[in-house]
Amino acid sequence: MLSIKNLHASIGEKEILRGIDLEVKAGEVHAIMGPNGSGKSTLASVLAGREDYEVTEGTVQFLGKDLLDLAPEARAAEGIFLAFQYPVEIPGVSTTNFLKSAVNEIRKYRGEDPMDAVQFLKMFKEKMAYVNIDQSLLSRALNEGFSGGEKKRNEIFQMAVLDPKLAILDETDSGLDIDALRIVAEGVNKLKSPNNATIVVTHYQRLLDYIVPDYVHVLYKGRIVKSGTKELALELEERGYDWIKSEVDQ
Amino acid sequence: MLSAELNTTLQGIAQKLDPESEKGKALSHFLDKGFPTSKWEEWKYTSLKDFNGIDRNWFPKGNSNLPVSADWAELIIRSSDAYLSIEKPSSNEGMEVLSFDEFIQKCPEFQEIWSDKKPILDQNSLYDLNVALAPQHTVLWIKKDVEISKAILHQYQVNSTEKSSSVQSRLLIYLEEGAKVSLMEQQTSTGSADILSNFVQEIFVSKGAQFTYLKDQDFQQGVSHIDHTFIYQAEGSQVDTFTFSLNASLIRNNLHFYIEGSQVVSNLNGLYVPGENQLMDSHTVVDHRMPHAESNELYKGVLLGNATGVFNGKIFVRQDAQKTNAFQSCRNVLASTRATMNTKPQLEIWADDVKCSHGTTTGQLNEEALFYMRSRGISLPAARTLLLLAFVQEVINKVEHPVLRESLTEKIIAKIQQSVDLSN
Repeated sequence: MLSIKNLHASIGEKEILRGIDLEVKAGEVHAIMGPNGSGKSTLASVLAGREDYEVTEGTVQFLGKDLLDLAPEARAAEGIFLAFQYPVEIPGVSTTNFLKSAVNEIRKYRGEDPMDAVQFLKMFKEKMAYVNIDQSLLSRALNEGFSGGEKKRNEIFQMAVLDPKLAILDETDSGLDIDALRIVAEGVNKLKSPNNATIVVTHYQRLLDYIVPDYVHVLYKGRIVKSGTKELALELEERGYDWIKSEVDQ
Repeated sequence: MLSAELNTTLQGIAQKLDPESEKGKALSHFLDKGFPTSKWEEWKYTSLKDFNGIDRNWFPKGNSNLPVSADWAELIIRSSDAYLSIEKPSSNEGMEVLSFDEFIQKCPEFQEIWSDKKPILDQNSLYDLNVALAPQHTVLWIKKDVEISKAILHQYQVNSTEKSSSVQSRLLIYLEEGAKVSLMEQQTSTGSADILSNFVQEIFVSKGAQFTYLKDQDFQQGVSHIDHTFIYQAEGSQVDTFTFSLNASLIRNNLHFYIEGSQVVSNLNGLYVPGENQLMDSHTVVDHRMPHAESNELYKGVLLGNATGVFNGKIFVRQDAQKTNAFQSCRNVLASTRATMNTKPQLEIWADDVKCSHGTTTGQLNEEALFYMRSRGISLPAARTLLLLAFVQEVINKVEHPVLRESLTEKIIAKIQQSVDLSN
């Protein structure tokens, strides 16, 4: 589904990603871990198409298309979804209006007819149950004055509505208490299917208690320096990152 | 200074006027000063210097063919090039539309109110030009305790002639004690030639009366519209104005509130959306002359293309105006890198027991918000439109009439969507 080869990316003069290789297949869950500043969030941003980063080398294929060639909105329409670490406040636009625009723009991209109000109502109701989100939250201006938990829950609701092929969760656990974490993780697990894939970017292992990865990759200094199964995450939890750092820095 | 040709034309008109009359004096003032240039502090960003060199058809004949279709209106009046017609009369005897002379005959007590008025006319030579050249005032008179439940529609239209033209028009509105009415004004134009539209409105709102005034300014390119709206409010009255500036080469709104009684409420709402080669200038004055009154001003602007916007908001709190609450906010979005906004709040406070606040901001659309929206599949132009629409909605939502709210929203969406800046 996703094939990243020798990806290099910089912001300004500073190179942050220095040759990433990663293969993700349908039905898989990959965890990207690593110490602060290792490039985890940059990787997520580059995949979603944030323009602050310049890709200097390498390729990213997504379902046979050159992902780096596409605008962020086209990537979304092709099936990529980024759950933000810090969801942005959109004053004056409710979640429902926001999602109606998003869904119909994506349908337009795919050459499908727009959905009408009745169809939306039915779909929203269905998806609300997935993430245990309240109607009142969806009528408010998106993320404006939301608590940390409400923002993340809203991200997962958006993911449920947009039904992506590849979901990238960027530090979704940050700022969440344990109950909110569980609800968000349950939502992600329910949305999992043999046809889609998930990349979980996280600093801590605790999210992986709830979203169990098939593969764990450790990112350090802009490269994947170690890959393994979920046991690697447990080892990191126990021993920290220092042993990996010293292995690499030698 | 006026060009020789224009000077000759206006001198010719002056010779037919009694130099001691109101009109004669006004024209002589105008001839001394000419049109404002950027050297005049009040016109720093809105120079009319070029107008000093353009001789015009100063008395165009109105000819209008606007269709009348507003079943929501109680009464429809039209001024086409300053010539008044009643398009849909009302059987309500609580109001009348008449000429100034007729009005004074029927309502002689107004003479005193009229001669006591004290507008602020600094650097306003266009007011003089209007007084000198305009036909008689049209008067809209709402009588004591009369409530007009449906709105009144005023279609203000200027029409282009072969030559550059200028329309001078005057409207006087008098609400007697306890009267209540809403006036919806559509300002439009026909043709594409150069027109100077100079419109003076003087509005007297008596004790306990309530007045709502909505202006929808939607002219063709080529029109320069100078609007002077002077509102005098007596004790316990409330006035809400909504000024929507959508299209014209140039719009200058001089909106003045003179608060002359206690317990007065004045709400000023404005929204301007200038585009390519358009300039929109809002100069507001809220003059708190008496105590225990409240004014709220909310102005917003979206600037497209190479547009220029100007906001100058003056609040005066005179020594007698203790316990005044005066609030002012002006927020702008530059939707294009080529647009310019000039803001200047000016507060002059002589009373010591007052609450006043003001704030102006000018910025661009939030890049983070745009990326967030795009990452959900919303295209860049659609994301910008959605954000801009959310921004202007705050002002539009204050309009009570759903039909007008909808038509304004549609026009603004269309204008924003047409703008090329959205996809750059």
